[in-house]
Amino acid sequence: MKMTKIYEGSYQWIMFGRDANKPSNIIDSNQYAVRTANRCLLLEPGGSELFAPMMAAVLHHTPVDQITDLFASHQDPDVISSLGLWDQALSNAKLHAPAIWEGYLRHFGCESIEYVPIPDNGGTIKLDSVELQLIPAHYLHSPGNFHVYDHHAKILMSGDVGSAVEAPGAPMYVDNFDSHIEKMRYFHQRWMPSNQAKRAWIERVRNLDIDILAPQHGRVFKGDDVKRFLDWFDSLQVGIAV
Amino acid sequence: MNIQTKSQFVAVASITSELSAVMVVAKEISLAAANAKAIAFRAGDKAKGFQPITDFINELAKETIDLVTNINVYALSLYRLTVNEYRRTVAYNKFDLVVKTTEGVTYAQSMQAPLENAKISMQNCQRQFKRDVKQLLDQLEAVMHHARAARVIAANSRIEASQAGEYLQSLQAVAESVDKAAHTIHDNVQRCRIALSLYRNS
Repeated sequence: MKMTKIYEGSYQWIMFGRDANKPSNIIDSNQYAVRTANRCLLLEPGGSELFAPMMAAVLHHTPVDQITDLFASHQDPDVISSLGLWDQALSNAKLHAPAIWEGYLRHFGCESIEYVPIPDNGGTIKLDSVELQLIPAHYLHSPGNFHVYDHHAKILMSGDVGSAVEAPGAPMYVDNFDSHIEKMRYFHQRWMPSNQAKRAWIERVRNLDIDILAPQHGRVFKGDDVKRFLDWFDSLQVGIAV
Repeated sequence: MNIQTKSQFVAVASITSELSAVMVVAKEISLAAANAKAIAFRAGDKAKGFQPITDFINELAKETIDLVTNINVYALSLYRLTVNEYRRTVAYNKFDLVVKTTEGVTYAQSMQAPLENAKISMQNCQRQFKRDVKQLLDQLEAVMHHARAARVIAANSRIEASQAGEYLQSLQAVAESVDKAAHTIHDNVQRCRIALSLYRNS
């Protein structure tokens, strides 16, 4: 599992992904951690197949008992089917996830972890002195969906938005936006169901100051590529399967 | 999922299936008892010896139904325990893998407590499973006992039926149906016991 620090200040954002030992028939995914002085939040902690390599990677940055929070943008198995394992590993943790998915996510096993339901209009997660905003991203692609915005680090963890299907071992950052487009086009057209939801999200996100857009699959966008992505997504027709 | 766990899931699920068949048969015995009672009543003195037997048959059927209802609750709890044990075993194996792959890593030591807790939980589940299997086997033995008693009653019924004149055929049919039902219950419960006995001492 590769680890890349995408922000380092008084706290860190770490990206995990490109696990070389992952079974080839499951989609590669990016996991993220926000590490503050005494706490650690895991964003999109991943599927159950990824639990062991993910936990092993996280132990480079934090002890188990300081993993206090998990976040799942939505209910998909590649996002959070490892929940039942985290539930047995963590003695004092919270899962922040969409309120409408609570009864469904509990099927993965959630006995000791406290489920903190995120209402439809969003909310915040406080980690020591860091406050993260939970930005509604409903229908992108899941009916109950949130992204995480850090106004201090200027990072938006954008779940499936911005994702691309990449060859194994692809670089962590987008280095040529134009050539990256074809890796994203079908994914967004097929997985994102609603042009109306897309427009509402773009309008909301354009008001945020973003240096890094960090999706759950593929590469991270930096600097001007963030605006390029928003412009490209704005002009894309989605929901093509009907 | 390994072969042992798969077989355990199948064994526990098959008990519920076998027991639902036992329940159907026990209800048939209860109906046969009501039928026999009506025939014996019509036969009057000719079936005097048969009348108390119908009460025995009915009582036996009711007790079997009650026992099977209780066992079903037990079987469901055993199924939940199997799921729990599976989840805890998977967690233990994954935690063990984390420990083995993080030697020398900064916070590797912090994984020891979750690993130890997972091991204890897994072992508790295994012990609980063995205890519950033993209790379930005892309850199944009680159903077997009822099935054996029903066969004795069926044999007595045949003797009493032979003295019932023109009611002989009807009462013999009752005795046959009780005997057949007892046989079915015996076979089904025996299959449950064989499936479970593998896990009593595993």
